[in-house]
Amino acid sequence: MNKDGFYATRIYPIIFMVLVTVVFISGVSGIYLSTKDRVELNETIFQKMAVLYAAGIDYPEGDPQGIQRVYEQHVSEVAGTSGSDEEPRYFELKLPDGETGYAVFTRGAGLWGEIVAIFGFEQDLQTITGVEFVEQNETPGLGARITEDWFKQQFRGKRGPFEMVEEGTADEVNELDAITGATRTSDAVLKIANRATDTAQEKVKGE
Amino acid sequence: MAAPGKLKKTFRDPLGKNNPVFAQILGICSTLAVTNKLENTVIMSLGVLFTTSLSGLTISLIRKWIPARVRMMVETLIIASFVIIVDITLRAYMPEVWQQLGPYVGLIITNCIIMGRAEAFALNNPPGLSLVDGIASGIGYSYVLIVIAFFRELLGTGEVWGFTVLGSWWTNWSIMIMPPGAFFMLAIFIWFVKGMIIKEEEAAK
Repeated sequence: MNKDGFYATRIYPIIFMVLVTVVFISGVSGIYLSTKDRVELNETIFQKMAVLYAAGIDYPEGDPQGIQRVYEQHVSEVAGTSGSDEEPRYFELKLPDGETGYAVFTRGAGLWGEIVAIFGFEQDLQTITGVEFVEQNETPGLGARITEDWFKQQFRGKRGPFEMVEEGTADEVNELDAITGATRTSDAVLKIANRATDTAQEKVKGE
Repeated sequence: MAAPGKLKKTFRDPLGKNNPVFAQILGICSTLAVTNKLENTVIMSLGVLFTTSLSGLTISLIRKWIPARVRMMVETLIIASFVIIVDITLRAYMPEVWQQLGPYVGLIITNCIIMGRAEAFALNNPPGLSLVDGIASGIGYSYVLIVIAFFRELLGTGEVWGFTVLGSWWTNWSIMIMPPGAFFMLAIFIWFVKGMIIKEEEAAK
């Protein structure tokens, strides 16, 4: 074969590239398809855990079937058109004290990217039963501490409109602990928390 | 298989005087980005180790058939495939970790160490040796990141691997877990290693 010939410089690289691409893409696709169901299951379970956490309902951690069972007993998804992609419009909850509650998705801009949260409300649509952050890209160790338990737990039983106060000093029903060193993230969460009440009113009542 | 001398040198160089991070200053982007939590760093390191070793092996296996003018495309394709495999696997089996690492896993593709080893080593060396080179480069990258992450997490949050180590008397150095902290730690590390250890070795010769 002539090394500088037409075949070696023009045709062969194309054939080679096509061949390598087909082989590797098939491999990757195969792995993708074989794990697809698992990934989807992880995602639905993740959302279900988030709703249950926001509602303040205990669930067996690390046990997908158990989570599924608890979810079916306590949560019904109300479909609607206003939610983005395939998100339910809101979730109707049977709270641990027997009352009816609601949970909604709320979004807002964080420091580095979008923050998506699920807020749970009591029947009055004012009192928060809990919150779970399902998507966030805040600074690990600073803003990302919004996903830590101490931060999320403080929302339970609180009513807006909220104010952020210095970390560790919140004691009023409308006060939330900010995170020291993560002012911008704290502000973003404050905005989202205040918007959540409106979102809940709009989605639940405005049907 | 290569001569034992070459094998030893291939393995030892990336760990010491030819380290990808502190000697060649490659892969700095991820060094700065993921080292504020030890846990994320270790998983990122495993991903890079997996990719450098297997991409080195694969590229070396087909090196005689790769046309020179499209070699970079082939390398990128192979590297990207392995990275996507890491991404899919994490997503399916370690969803919490995947959620935390987010875009960083995909960014392994652009880690210059992997492309650098493919270009500089795997294209010209037999598969066994390339695999060793890949593993050694991965380890060389990993241990530097782990040391940096250990100090950043410790000084920045008083924790190691999420467990509180320093008591309440400790005031967190927030700057350590923000991007500037990474520059300081990396610079101190390079200064320490190059100034103290490598210089002594050279003096001993």
